[in-house]
Amino acid sequence: MSAATPTASRPAAAGDPHFVSPFADEKVNFLRMLKAEWLKLWTLRSTWWTLTLTVVLMAGLALLFSAVIQIMINNPGGGFGPENGDAVAAGPDLSSVAVLVVVIGYQLAQLTIAILGVLVMSNEYGSGMIRATFSASPRRLRTLWAKLIVLTVTTVLVAVVGLALAWAVSYPILNNHGLTVDFGDASQVRAILGTVLYLIMVAWLALGVGTILRHTAGGISAVIGALMVLPMIFGLIVAVAPTVRWVGYINRALPSTAGEQLILGDAMVGFGPAGGGGAMASGGVAMLDPWVGFAVLAIYAVVALVVGAFVIKRRDA
Amino acid sequence: MIEAHGLTKKYGEKTAVDDISFTVRPGIVTGFLGPNGAGKSTTMRMIMGLDRPTAGTVTVNGRRYAQHASPLSQVGALLEARAVHPGRSAYQHLKVLAATHNIPAQRVHDVIGLTGLESVAKKRVGGFSLGMGQRLGIASALLGDPSTLILDEPVNGLDPEGVLWVRNLARYLASQGRTVFLSSHLMSEMALTADHVIVIGRGKILADSPMAAFVESASKRSVRVRTPRLSTLLPAVEAAGGVVRLSDDGAPEGDKVATVTGLDSPAIGEIALTNGIVLHELTPVASTLEEAYMELTADAVEYHAVDIHTPNTDGGQR
Repeated sequence: MSAATPTASRPAAAGDPHFVSPFADEKVNFLRMLKAEWLKLWTLRSTWWTLTLTVVLMAGLALLFSAVIQIMINNPGGGFGPENGDAVAAGPDLSSVAVLVVVIGYQLAQLTIAILGVLVMSNEYGSGMIRATFSASPRRLRTLWAKLIVLTVTTVLVAVVGLALAWAVSYPILNNHGLTVDFGDASQVRAILGTVLYLIMVAWLALGVGTILRHTAGGISAVIGALMVLPMIFGLIVAVAPTVRWVGYINRALPSTAGEQLILGDAMVGFGPAGGGGAMASGGVAMLDPWVGFAVLAIYAVVALVVGAFVIKRRDA
Repeated sequence: MIEAHGLTKKYGEKTAVDDISFTVRPGIVTGFLGPNGAGKSTTMRMIMGLDRPTAGTVTVNGRRYAQHASPLSQVGALLEARAVHPGRSAYQHLKVLAATHNIPAQRVHDVIGLTGLESVAKKRVGGFSLGMGQRLGIASALLGDPSTLILDEPVNGLDPEGVLWVRNLARYLASQGRTVFLSSHLMSEMALTADHVIVIGRGKILADSPMAAFVESASKRSVRVRTPRLSTLLPAVEAAGGVVRLSDDGAPEGDKVATVTGLDSPAIGEIALTNGIVLHELTPVASTLEEAYMELTADAVEYHAVDIHTPNTDGGQR
């Protein structure tokens, strides 16, 4: 501080009556910020809603798909099962059906995780809480990182619970038909771990976008648009122009299309959500390899967070 | 101690705060006055490090806010806009803030008690009245038992009892040697609470002085005059340089009250004697903070309302 000022006739320190807070030695550190962010997350109803919904969707979708598979196996004429000899070469490889049923919930879980990720930051700006947050911990980047860690831990917990429940509800049905998850199969384990990792990246992307836009509705729309609407639009484009190569290049690099290769990968041939797409993005362009695809999604997420970090530091709260 | 040097904030073309320098000292209550849009809240947000100054610096206890290792024990702030998530209870909100500084649960209970929030502490803040919200804001500001308090319009929405409570609280906190920086639009309340005033208008400091000196110096003192022969007295007073304002044009002449500025009561008395006019009242009126403030900021008001009494006062004055 400058020693002499036009307005201050007295020096700052000595001589003035000066009150010292009993908490003056209680310093803000990252661990304490983590605790505060953890409390913040779990004291809001929206957290319980989105996380409960995530688990319900993961388990529910697994139950639904198990039931559908059971019906199809019991009705061999339905176009499914070993008896089905047409179209898809030698019929789909049923060995990975069980794991696909367990992980398929990611398709809807990414929606609720994205909402949670956006909300973690946008609700602070929407309510004005951010001013209290930055008053208590003015190092803004640390607030972002604390939120990132809390959100990541929460996403892992919920994904694991969701996957476990999905396995538990599908096992009794699928086991009747000899279809079980093979935890010794590397690609099946990758699908399960990949679901957790995929949802983490969705959460990161959503937190980044929420930090950039600071607006709940706008943030959720943007993330859902990127993750779910863009692939739908490209699904249509691919259907219209199946031979155009650049459509394929863009399609396979979309955040969700790229990232979900870690979950679906080669196991997905014949089961693609877009139908007969298989492992082809379009125009003869193959989908990215599982880990390459995941890296592409991670780049989107990290770029959103870096831009968010820049914005949170620069802009007025 | 809050020190601002050349503090400036521009929003695009518009300058909200224009190169201001001031010091807010500990041990006294410093009032921060100014019309809407004058830059009060912007200045307070810059002190808290929420808004980045375009130029200049502002420090609290010698450091920029963000450089304090224990910010809540240095500065507690109640800012203009609400800073609470409506989905949390008052208790949860304070617990969250306390967690960042490892402030014990007992302190959370203490500030809830101090601000009279016990009965609603477990209720969601979304259902709070304006007054309850203000009390929670004050509780948040007091949480770290800070040496500096910044309170933007703290009595907003409070009942008369609450207004009195804030006044006593501000004075008590200052008496403990804390720095108390307070803004309010309630001039009568500010006159009772603050020892020192800083007046801001159109982003510039218009006055920075002790309360008593500000009220004395910045205002024209006036004299209240009543006489049955007003029509004879007034021309004589105006000829001597007095400016007359008449109250209540509908009343009979003997009931009218004339407010004279520019002449003191002895001078008016002598004019009355010279003209052989009997006076029923000749009262020097002490100026108030409100008058001093209005006079100073008349040109600096950002948003003018249309004065519905304009025709009347014009008629009486000229």
